[in-house]
Amino acid sequence: MKCPECSYEAPVPEFRYLYNVRIDAPLTLRQCPQCQAWLSVDELAGESTGKVEAGDAPWGKSAGIERDLEEAV
Amino acid sequence: MTAEPAKLDVSLQEHEEKQEWWWIAEKKRSKRLDYLRKAVWKKGALGGNYAPGIKVDLEGPKLFTDMWKWWKFDPIIMRRAKALAHVFDNIPIFITDHSQLVGYWGSAPHTISWRVDGASIVNEELYNEPGIMPEPEEESLRKVAEINDYWAGQTAVDKVARILDPEDAVKFLSGAIGWGAPTSAYGYSGKNYEYYLKGERGFEDIIADIEDHIAEAEEKTIGVPGPDILHIYDRIQNWEAMILVLEAAIRFAKRYARLARTMAEHLETDEKRKEELLRIAETCERVPAKAPRNLQESFQMDLLIQTMSRFEASEGAWPARPDYYHGPFYEKDVLQDKSLTEEEATDLIGEFMIRAYEVGGFGPRWAREGMQGITGTWVWTIGGVKPDGSDACNALTTAFLRTARLIRVSNPTFAFRWHPKVSDEVMRECFECIRHGLGYPSFRNDPILVANCMNWHGHPVEEARTWVHQACMSPCPTTKNGVQPFRMASATANCAKMVEYALHNGYDHVVGMQMGPQTGDARTFTDFEQLFDAWTQQMQWLLSLLVRTVNLGRYKDPEFYGRPFLSGITERAVERGIDAVSPEGERGNCWITAFTWVENADSLAAVKKLVFDDKKYTMDQLITALETNWDGYEQMRLDFVNKAPKWGNDDDYVDDIMLRCLRTMAKHSKVMRCTSNNTWPAAPQNVSGNIHYSSVVGALPNGRRLGDALYDGGISPGPGLDKKGPTAVLKSCGKIDHVADGRAFLLNQRLSPTQMAGEKGYQLWRAYMRTWADLGLDHIQFNMVSDKTLRAAQKDPEKYQEVIVRVAGYSAHFVDISRKTQDNIIQRTIQGI
Ligand SMILES: [Zn+2]
Repeated sequence: MKCPECSYEAPVPEFRYLYNVRIDAPLTLRQCPQCQAWLSVDELAGESTGKVEAGDAPWGKSAGIERDLEEAV
Repeated sequence: MTAEPAKLDVSLQEHEEKQEWWWIAEKKRSKRLDYLRKAVWKKGALGGNYAPGIKVDLEGPKLFTDMWKWWKFDPIIMRRAKALAHVFDNIPIFITDHSQLVGYWGSAPHTISWRVDGASIVNEELYNEPGIMPEPEEESLRKVAEINDYWAGQTAVDKVARILDPEDAVKFLSGAIGWGAPTSAYGYSGKNYEYYLKGERGFEDIIADIEDHIAEAEEKTIGVPGPDILHIYDRIQNWEAMILVLEAAIRFAKRYARLARTMAEHLETDEKRKEELLRIAETCERVPAKAPRNLQESFQMDLLIQTMSRFEASEGAWPARPDYYHGPFYEKDVLQDKSLTEEEATDLIGEFMIRAYEVGGFGPRWAREGMQGITGTWVWTIGGVKPDGSDACNALTTAFLRTARLIRVSNPTFAFRWHPKVSDEVMRECFECIRHGLGYPSFRNDPILVANCMNWHGHPVEEARTWVHQACMSPCPTTKNGVQPFRMASATANCAKMVEYALHNGYDHVVGMQMGPQTGDARTFTDFEQLFDAWTQQMQWLLSLLVRTVNLGRYKDPEFYGRPFLSGITERAVERGIDAVSPEGERGNCWITAFTWVENADSLAAVKKLVFDDKKYTMDQLITALETNWDGYEQMRLDFVNKAPKWGNDDDYVDDIMLRCLRTMAKHSKVMRCTSNNTWPAAPQNVSGNIHYSSVVGALPNGRRLGDALYDGGISPGPGLDKKGPTAVLKSCGKIDHVADGRAFLLNQRLSPTQMAGEKGYQLWRAYMRTWADLGLDHIQFNMVSDKTLRAAQKDPEKYQEVIVRVAGYSAHFVDISRKTQDNIIQRTIQGI
């Protein structure tokens, strides 16, 4: 996997695992060992989908009515 | 300062539309409350760290230690009483500008207190905690080192740890299976409110009673010699210690009276404030020496007692029922005599909450992480019924709910004892608090919990009906024999380890040692029953170990620690001359806090479905995937999440496993006995232990990895896994027998602020609550803050300082909790009801 911030490249497990708040999604947070950036990672593809900053929502909206309403629109 | 509201400018409606409830609160509250709310120091740890400017109080610890050393030849209980009295007589005191209630657990408003004789390991941690030493730092560190050197090896925890079974001690101290300490130096103190807070009794009355008991006892010690009089000598010491501390407590209050009077007579120029200071003086001259006569005296007595209890032990909870015990004074002052206006009473109520919010003590890191944003669980009980079963709600119940929306503190919070006779007016006030995003009150099903008290511990119905939350969740009566004087926190189980150990032959790969019994190599299990049998053995081992620590702590505590002040306010101790923590005459009201519980059901169901029923994977494959923390097994992990039934969807496949786990545990709860020979039911709930244990619990078959937060509630489904809607969640939870299957069951639900707007929102919620009640659930609580607001608060915390969320059994300011906890809360499903 390649870090989108500093281009550091290594197998996924070398990026420190932080957490996944949506257990039913393949998207996790990991940290780049070189530039320390928090990255969202697609664990199925083994690729980072981008850097995660405060307030970002890589998992999208929480499940339930608000998401349903949005999808219905 | 008058009670008129602060000036209004930007339209309240505009704020309401944007759900900026904190601005509305600021504009609606009086100038006094606005000042007091803003002047208060935040003591709760931010994530795991104290806020800048917060310093540890070294005055109290030094006074206590000095006098403890001085009386080294005294019986331990007298030594403790004298050291505590020395603190009451000498600790610097202060009165906050514009305040009307006094008393603080420390020498200055920005200090956090430090329990020096609790645990050496905590003392060491305090020495190493950056940023909390008063200036000059070097001198403070020297003082702390000196105090630590003295206490090393003779704190309460040192003493009990030396006599624990060595194997139990090592496993307990690994931090993997539980937390807390088996001592009354820290933990949750029950209060015998029926004895001292009914306006019938002051400390002088208690002292007079004790003197009679001593006189009677001394007749026996000069009487016929024999074995039956020997225990009386110890009892006389206990009584003497109680008197000594109660007298010091009266002097402590009178020091405030003197300070207030001096300020009024020599320093204050504002006539109105002068009057207020003189009223403070009169109040503290009256209470706690004599019974209170009005609302201010009643609040002041309660507050002083809570403060003084904390000088004796680091009490991590604040069991209370303020509307019930102070309500008669509110009704007398505001409604009958009209000696207080409603606005003046609101100022007192608001300040009573602010003074509680202000209280904070130093806690070790695990405690700070486990209770992010707060300093203890001040869950105040409101509503409920009287001992005769009639509605106990009064004018103060609604006054507290209204004031909570003006003050917006995250601690104390309220838990409302709902019952079928609660009026619509009160329910609307509760709902308004939730709509304003406070996350409280939580709702407790009173008829269910009264039955639960009677079922598990045999409380007579009138006694059961006095119950208050002893900490977050567990009911505790406030009566002479029903009150649990001290609940030691070490019966707190990290339950996810039950299934983890069942899968790894009792071995813990995170802490690297054999913890539970060797229940067999799970790779060789050929059917679900073998796994369930291993789980049962691990569960029994884990709970038994933790319960043993508490039982031993309770048994030895009068000797190792001793609580003369708590004893002096506990009728059973006053009557018998025993230490309050001694179980003699106590009915027994223990519970196990069951953290990280739901993972057991979801994990067992996933193994049953995918390995034993569908045979899609083998046990060998599963154990290998778990050992690598699912790294490289993402598709398989997703199958374990998505292709196995999950709790909270009204699916009997997994719900039956949940019930089987609970009932197997409940059976063991009756086998284990407390020091009063009563039962040990479990209460599934998490505080924020689901975050603390995220780096302690290994990968599990429900699809979690080491590092992921565990599910947030005691019986809440996993975030995003409750896919069948709110009624399915209630139906799953309703399959649990909330009387017989355990002590209490925490359910978090998130609602949509958009859907809950207006009268329609209220009616929808009422209908939902009727279903909740009909299904016999004992608890529910709500977050009603949108994703949008929470994400914005993450991005710009400065602007959203006042956003409050319900974490678990408590609320916190959103910006004070860690990113992981924040994300966990945001990803909870927002149920449309
Ligand atoms: Zn990088």
